[in-house]
Amino acid sequence: MTKIETTLPTLLSDIEAFYKPKEWHFLSVNGIDLGEGKIELQWIFSKYGVKDEVVIYYALSDYETPIPSVLALIPSSIMGEREIVDMFGLTVEGAQKGLYLDEDSLQHPLRGEE
Amino acid sequence: MKFFTTFRKKSPWILHYNAGSCNGCDIEILASLAPKFDLERFGVINTGNPKQSDIFLVTGPVTYRSRERLVELYTQIPEPKVVVAVGSCTATGGVFRGMVNTEDGIDRYIPVDVYVPGCASSPQLIIDGLVKALEILEAKSKEIEKPFKLFGAIETIGNKLSRLNMAKKVHNDEN
Amino acid sequence: MKKTIQIPLGSQHISLLEPIRFKFECENERIIGVDADVGFVHRGVELACTRSFEFKQVGYVVARVCGLCAITHSLSYTLAVEKLLGYVANDRIKYLRMLMVELDRIHSHMLCLAHTAENAGFEALFMQIMGDRELVMEVQEAISGNRVQFDYISIGGVNRDLTSDLCDLIRKNLTILSEKMEILTGLFDNNWSLSLKYKGVGVLSLEDAYTYNALGPLARASGLATDVRAETSDFPYEALGYTMILESTGDIHARNFVRLREIVNSITMCQNIVDNLPIGEIQEKVKGKPKGEDIIRIEAPRGELFYLVRGNGTNMLERVRIKTPTFSGIPAMMEVFKGSQYADAPAILASFDPCMSCTAK
Repeated sequence: MTKIETTLPTLLSDIEAFYKPKEWHFLSVNGIDLGEGKIELQWIFSKYGVKDEVVIYYALSDYETPIPSVLALIPSSIMGEREIVDMFGLTVEGAQKGLYLDEDSLQHPLRGEE
Repeated sequence: MKFFTTFRKKSPWILHYNAGSCNGCDIEILASLAPKFDLERFGVINTGNPKQSDIFLVTGPVTYRSRERLVELYTQIPEPKVVVAVGSCTATGGVFRGMVNTEDGIDRYIPVDVYVPGCASSPQLIIDGLVKALEILEAKSKEIEKPFKLFGAIETIGNKLSRLNMAKKVHNDEN
Repeated sequence: MKKTIQIPLGSQHISLLEPIRFKFECENERIIGVDADVGFVHRGVELACTRSFEFKQVGYVVARVCGLCAITHSLSYTLAVEKLLGYVANDRIKYLRMLMVELDRIHSHMLCLAHTAENAGFEALFMQIMGDRELVMEVQEAISGNRVQFDYISIGGVNRDLTSDLCDLIRKNLTILSEKMEILTGLFDNNWSLSLKYKGVGVLSLEDAYTYNALGPLARASGLATDVRAETSDFPYEALGYTMILESTGDIHARNFVRLREIVNSITMCQNIVDNLPIGEIQEKVKGKPKGEDIIRIEAPRGELFYLVRGNGTNMLERVRIKTPTFSGIPAMMEVFKGSQYADAPAILASFDPCMSCTAK
C-alpha cells in the first residue's frame, strides 16, 4: 500500500497523469472524519495482475470546500462520490444527494459528533 | 364464499418483501421453496403481486426508505391476510437495533401474526411459521364470513334483499 | 419525432430478491436509458461499527451486511484487525478460513445460476440447481453449525475445528456435486431455449469493462483478467490449485460459464484443502488494541471486497470503510442494459448477481 499526498486543486491533474484504464482498477472514493471539521479524502487504485499493489491518493479538506469530481476521467467514480455527498454532507461537482438517504435529508451520519 | 375459504387454506400464495435484511433470510425462503424442504407441498407459491397474495413474508428491520413501500404493500393485500415476520431483526431490530437508518422491527408499522426467530431463520423454522400462519388465515377467513346482524326487520324488493332500505331505516331510527 | 416511454422495475418485483428500483427509458421494446435507485436497504452499518460496537464485536456485525457473502465480510474485517495487531495466523487457520470462503463461493454461485435460470423462464432448472445446492449447505451446517450466517471466523482463529468425520462428509458431498456440475454444464451449454435467452444477450465489451471498472465474474466474462485471489498474497491460493477463469464473449452465457467453471475450480480447491490440512491450533490469543490504518482485499463471490480499518489504540475504531463488489459494479451494469430488450431485463439483472444489502450497507 502506497500513500501519496495531494491537494484538492491539483487532484485532477495528478489523477489524470496517473490513471490508465487498462493498468489500474479504480476501487473507490473514501472519506475519513478527523474531527474538528477536518476530513481526509482518499482515492484508491489497485493494479491489475500485480500482487498487493494498491495506491491511495489522499487530500485533506473540510466540510465546506467543494471537491472536484473525477467522473470525467473515471466513469465508475459516480457511486463513491454520491456516497460521500450523502454520508459526510460534502459538495462534489455533479453528484446529487440521494443515493442512500432522502434527497432532502439533513442528515450526514458519518461526520464526527458535534 | 365457502368455496374460497376451502381453497384459500389449501393454496395460500405468499408475497415476499425485503425491508432491509441481510439477504440471509431471503435465501432461506428460496431454499425452503426448493426441493429439499419443498414448501410447495402446502400449496404455497411465491407471487410478485400483492393483490393475489394471502401471506406476507417480511424480512429485515425496516429501513427508513422501505417503510412506505412496506405499508403500501400491506394495504394492497386483500383481506384476510396474515403477516409473517421472518428473522430476529424483523421482530426486534436484532443486530441492527439502534442503527441510524433502521426502525427496530416491523410491528411499529404493520400488525404481525407470526414471528419466526433466528439469524438467519432456518428453513424448518420458516415452514413451521407458515403452517402456523395457515391456521391463523383459516380463523381469519371464518371471522370475515360470519353473517353480520342487521337491525330491524328484513326489507325486500321483489325477491331480493334490499340492504339500502334496511340501512335507511336504521339511519332514521337513530335520528 | 422519437417517443420514449418509461417503464419501472421494482422496488418490489417477482424477479427481485431485494429492493432495487430501475427506471428504464424505452424506445419501443429497446432500452435506451437506465436510472437505478439502490438505497432502499441502507441501515448504517459503517457508522454503528465505530459508535456502538467494540472492535472485537464488529466482526460479527459486518457479517450482517450481507447474508450470502457473510464469511468474506467477517474474514476481511478480521484480517485487517489482525494486521493492525501484528498477528499472523498459522497455516491450519488459514486453510480452514479458505475452505469456508470457497464453500460460500460455491453456494452463492449456484444460487445465482438458479436465479438466472428462473428469470429466463426455466423453473425446472431452478429447482434442480437449488436441490443440488443443498449438498453444500449441508456441509456448511455440519462445519459451522448454521446454514447461512455462520459466525465461523473470530479474531485469532476460527471457532470450530474440522474433524475426520467432517472431512469424509465434505469429500463425499463434493464428489457428488462435481458429477452434478458436469450435467449442469452440459445443460447450460446445449439447451436450445436457454441459449436463446442467454447467447448474445446483455453484452459487456472488454473496452467497457476497462472503462467502467467491472469486477468479479462480470469482468472475467468479458475477458478482463482481474481476480483478487491472484492479486493478493494473504492466502496460498496458487498452491491449492487456483486457476483464473476467463471467457471472452461477455454475454449472459459467458457469465454463467464463468460461474460454472469457478464452482468446479472451487470444488477442486476444497478437496485439496481437506486432503492437505496442516496440524495446529485453531484459536490463538491475540493481545492489544488496533492502532493505525490498513486495508484488505478479498475476492467475494461477486468480485472484490475492500475493507479499510483505522484504529486509534482504543476499543472503538475510528473508521471502517466497506467497499462491496456490487457497489462498484453498478455503473458497468447500467451500461449493459442500454440497447437490450426490455423483456430480457430480469435475466440480465439476475446474471449480474446483484447484492443490494451489500451495496447499501
